[in-house]
Amino acid sequence: MSEDLKKLFEERLGRYHAAISLEPHDRIPIATGSNYFAEVYSGDTKQETIDDPEKWLQAEIKFCQDFPEVDVLRNNRIYGPLYDALDVKTYRLPGRDLDPNTQFQFVEQDYMKEDEYDDLINDPPGFMIDIWLPRILGELGNRGTGRSYVAMLKAGFAQMMMGGVMRNRGMVLEQQCGMPQPMAGFFLAPFDALADAMRGMTGAFLDMFRQPDKVLAACDVLVQEMAHTALTLADPLKRYPIFVPTHKAIFMSPEQFDTFYWPSFKKVMEILIESGHSIRAYLEGDWGPHWHHLREMPKGRVLCDIDSQGDIFKAKKDLEGYQCVAGGVQDSMLILGTTDQVRVHVRELCERAGKGGGYIISAGCNFPYDTKPENFRAMIDAVMEYGWHDKTIKAKPKSAPPSSKAEALKPRRVLTPWEVKKGELGQITGDENLIKKNWEQLEAMAHTFMWQWTL
Amino acid sequence: MGDLAQALANLEEKKVYELIDQKIAEGVNPLDIIKECNDGMIRVGEQFSEGKYFISQLIFSAEILKQVMKKLEPLLAGIQTGGPAGGKVVIGTVKGDIHDIGKNIVITLLKGSGFDVIDLGVDVPPEKFVQTVKESGAKVLGLSALLNFTYPMMKEVVEAVKAAGLGDQVKIIVGGTPVNEQVREYAGADYYAKDAVAGVNMCKEIYS
Repeated sequence: MSEDLKKLFEERLGRYHAAISLEPHDRIPIATGSNYFAEVYSGDTKQETIDDPEKWLQAEIKFCQDFPEVDVLRNNRIYGPLYDALDVKTYRLPGRDLDPNTQFQFVEQDYMKEDEYDDLINDPPGFMIDIWLPRILGELGNRGTGRSYVAMLKAGFAQMMMGGVMRNRGMVLEQQCGMPQPMAGFFLAPFDALADAMRGMTGAFLDMFRQPDKVLAACDVLVQEMAHTALTLADPLKRYPIFVPTHKAIFMSPEQFDTFYWPSFKKVMEILIESGHSIRAYLEGDWGPHWHHLREMPKGRVLCDIDSQGDIFKAKKDLEGYQCVAGGVQDSMLILGTTDQVRVHVRELCERAGKGGGYIISAGCNFPYDTKPENFRAMIDAVMEYGWHDKTIKAKPKSAPPSSKAEALKPRRVLTPWEVKKGELGQITGDENLIKKNWEQLEAMAHTFMWQWTL
Repeated sequence: MGDLAQALANLEEKKVYELIDQKIAEGVNPLDIIKECNDGMIRVGEQFSEGKYFISQLIFSAEILKQVMKKLEPLLAGIQTGGPAGGKVVIGTVKGDIHDIGKNIVITLLKGSGFDVIDLGVDVPPEKFVQTVKESGAKVLGLSALLNFTYPMMKEVVEAVKAAGLGDQVKIIVGGTPVNEQVREYAGADYYAKDAVAGVNMCKEIYS
């Protein structure tokens, strides 16, 4: 990696870190979480983005070259071959179930039934492998068949291939383009894990009225699973925040939110922050009635993405001095507006929301696929003109904050704990720890693999 | 407002079912029971507009109403309902988008207000909207979407409706997460509904 690119990488990451931690920096970072626009800007179809990692990487490199002012660029979420190997039911994918140029879409259903809470609460891994996963992974539903064993084997390989694609892409972008990432790893708020792919929104809301104690107990169990999943997937160097997209909070009253959503969500975030990580929270929809809670979290550790339906100026005012906010550029403006409109719009954002820092320019949690390239350019030019705080400041990337073993984090519940395996082996003739360490690592990886399908 | 309507408006599920069972036992005309439930649902919608209820409460109210209708269905067999009092509304999620939660909430509220709703489901192509509007004679067409790549599709539907000569017959309302006044203008639709209750009120206005 050349010195120039290393310097550029550190300049971008330093700016991003400083904005998140509410420290001085030179200008407003251009740092969306999900950049769909980058994926299609060079002409790739949406199918190519998920099925052809090389094309996808080339598209991102071109984006970095054409828009060097951008500060971070994210990893892709979906690797088609893995979804094909397992026959994942929770997504419809371009080129397979949808037109090659239509965006992938989540299919919500009550894959978990209303009388299955005790199964989840009493034995989370058993519930996953015996009840829930066979319903959302079609191939696992063919239980006991040779085809299903091979499918799981293929999925394991596909997961490793995806890991390789992501690692390679991160390295290429860092070393060839000096480009950091906005986030690494993910989790869901426990209520969302329950209400997205398990009970579905209608199911979870009816349960909230009809069996509130079960919902709360399930959220408690999910705190541990989400925290373990997030920690396994997180950036080991702790340079990048862990991503959490929120989904159902905006449909809840403040009382429901305070009871069913926030306490378990807060617990997961506390565990991750105590472990030395920061968080990037996509507050989907209008979080206006709820976002004041983010003031309860350690300062500058939860970057809040404000969606197009939320009021960015109110968010900035409510969270100023507590957390950094990102957003403000209206999705519809990028897709339908003119360059002049974008310029006026972004100028206002820089001057009002950007004042005093703690602000990152982005659209409603992402830059949309259908952003007009000239509007994207106009947005960047406006930031480069109106988005400066102090050109003399050169913020350096922050080193990982001090971390400790979070007390609230319990040992992970797994299907085959080491003690069980040890009992089966009877006698260990050599160094037990060598065997145990690898056993537990693989067990942890397998459980993260299972829980990732809640997203 | 009667006890039943009040219980429904308060989302007191068990009480609603008890009152329904009681009224059925007393031989109350099921159409009157439905009318009282509609009053309760209208109150639910009002509380949503006032910011007292959120989507979760709308969903729960719809579920209670669904259970009530299950109880009443056997009694309605053979009774001439005369059809819904309100007009016809055609609604669907536009082509490319498969989301239906928002659309379904609107449908529940429309039915609660007495409209005859023709639900075309999700991923609906323009020609299907045009054909249904033509055949039904509906004065309102509702287009729903969750994803922001659907703007051109909304425009296509509006243009197809106009090209079919139905522009004078039907008013088009667009709604959903990514929609705003700018999108309405781009698509050439008549109205933009900010939320489900606003959409229902527009339907009432169009039919008044």
